[in-house]
Amino acid sequence: MPWADDVVAGFRSQQVRLVVYVADKVLVPVLDRIAADPGQFRLVPLTREEEGIGVLAGAFFGGMRGALLMQSSGFGNTLNGLASLAIPYQVGFPMLISVRGALGETNKAQVPMGRAMPELLASLGLPRYDLDRPETVESVTRGATRQAFTTGRPVALLLSSLLTGGKGGGF
Amino acid sequence: MERQDVIRAVAARAGDALIVANLGSNAYDLHTHGHRPGNLYMRGAMGLTGSVGLGLAMARPDRRVIVLDGDGSLLMNLGQLATAAAEAPANLVHIVLVNGLWQETGGQRIATAGRADLAAIARGAGIAEVAEAADLDALSRVLDRALAAPGPWLVAVRIQERGASQAPNTDPMANRDEFMRAAEGFVAVAPQYERA
Repeated sequence: MPWADDVVAGFRSQQVRLVVYVADKVLVPVLDRIAADPGQFRLVPLTREEEGIGVLAGAFFGGMRGALLMQSSGFGNTLNGLASLAIPYQVGFPMLISVRGALGETNKAQVPMGRAMPELLASLGLPRYDLDRPETVESVTRGATRQAFTTGRPVALLLSSLLTGGKGGGF
Repeated sequence: MERQDVIRAVAARAGDALIVANLGSNAYDLHTHGHRPGNLYMRGAMGLTGSVGLGLAMARPDRRVIVLDGDGSLLMNLGQLATAAAEAPANLVHIVLVNGLWQETGGQRIATAGRADLAAIARGAGIAEVAEAADLDALSRVLDRALAAPGPWLVAVRIQERGASQAPNTDPMANRDEFMRAAEGFVAVAPQYERA
C-alpha cells in the first residue's frame, strides 16, 4: 500500500510522536506501519474519538505532536471537543479520516455523517484536504500536518475510497 | 469537607506539578485559591479533563500531572479510565471531587448521588492506584502518597457544596500560553525545535 507509506512518511517528517485512534478497516495499513515503528510512534487505542481530542490537547500543551485517526462516522463523536477545546485553545493536530458513506458504500448508516462531515468541518472553520491521488499523498499529508502544528488548528485529511479502494478493498 | 478545602490542599502540595482543572467550579476555585502558571483552566469540553491530563502525562513523564475533575464530567467519559489504565503513566494523579450533583446548572442530582461508585469503576477499569477520602485528614494522607508514589492514581474525594464559587472569566489563549511556558510545551508549535 504505497499510499499508507506516504501518509506515515508525511507524519514522520513533521515529528508526529503520538497517534491516537479508533480503528477502521481502511486505516489498517497505516496502523500497521505506525505499530511497526515504536521508536518514532506511540500508538494509543481510544474508547471514543472525542477522548482523542483531549489526549492530543494535553500532549500538545506538553510539547508532543500527535495525530488522530478515525472513520467519518467517528468524526461525529469529536465535535464538542473540537469546538470547545481544540479551537479556542488553538491545539493543532492532523485528523486522518477514512471517508465512509461515499463511493462504493454498502452501509446506509454510514451515509449521513459521511455527507455531513465536509460541511461540519467548514462550519467549524477547519481546513480540509483530500487524499485521493497517489502522487500527492505524501506532500498533502506533510503540508497539512505542518500547517496544523504551526497554526495551532486541527486539520482534516480525508482518505478517499478512490485512493484506498474503500472497506472492501475495491469497488 | 468542601471544594475549597480540597483545592487548597492540592495547591499547597503541587510543587512544580502541572494541574488541569475541570470546567466550572474546580477551575474557578483553583484560580481563586491557587492561581499559578502551571494551571490549565478548562472552559468547555466536559468529560475531557482527564484525557487532557493523560496526554500531558505522556508528553511530560518528568512532571507530576494533577487532574481536578468533577463526578458529572467523569461520568460523561468513563472510557478514559480504561485508556489511562492501559497506558499507565506513573505520573498521573486524577482527583475527582464527588458532590453527586451537576453543580453549575443548579445542583441537579446525578448517578453518583445514588449507587454509582467512581472508585469501584476505576478499579474495574484497571487503574493501578485507587484511593478515597471523605475528610481532610484522610485527604492529606492520600495526597502525600499520590504525589510521591508511582500511579496512575484515581482519588475520589467526597465533598459537600457550600455555595457558588467566584467565576473568573479566564481567557483560553492567555491561559494556554502561560501554561505551555510552564510546561515547556512550545516545541509542539515550532517545527524547528524538537525536544531531544
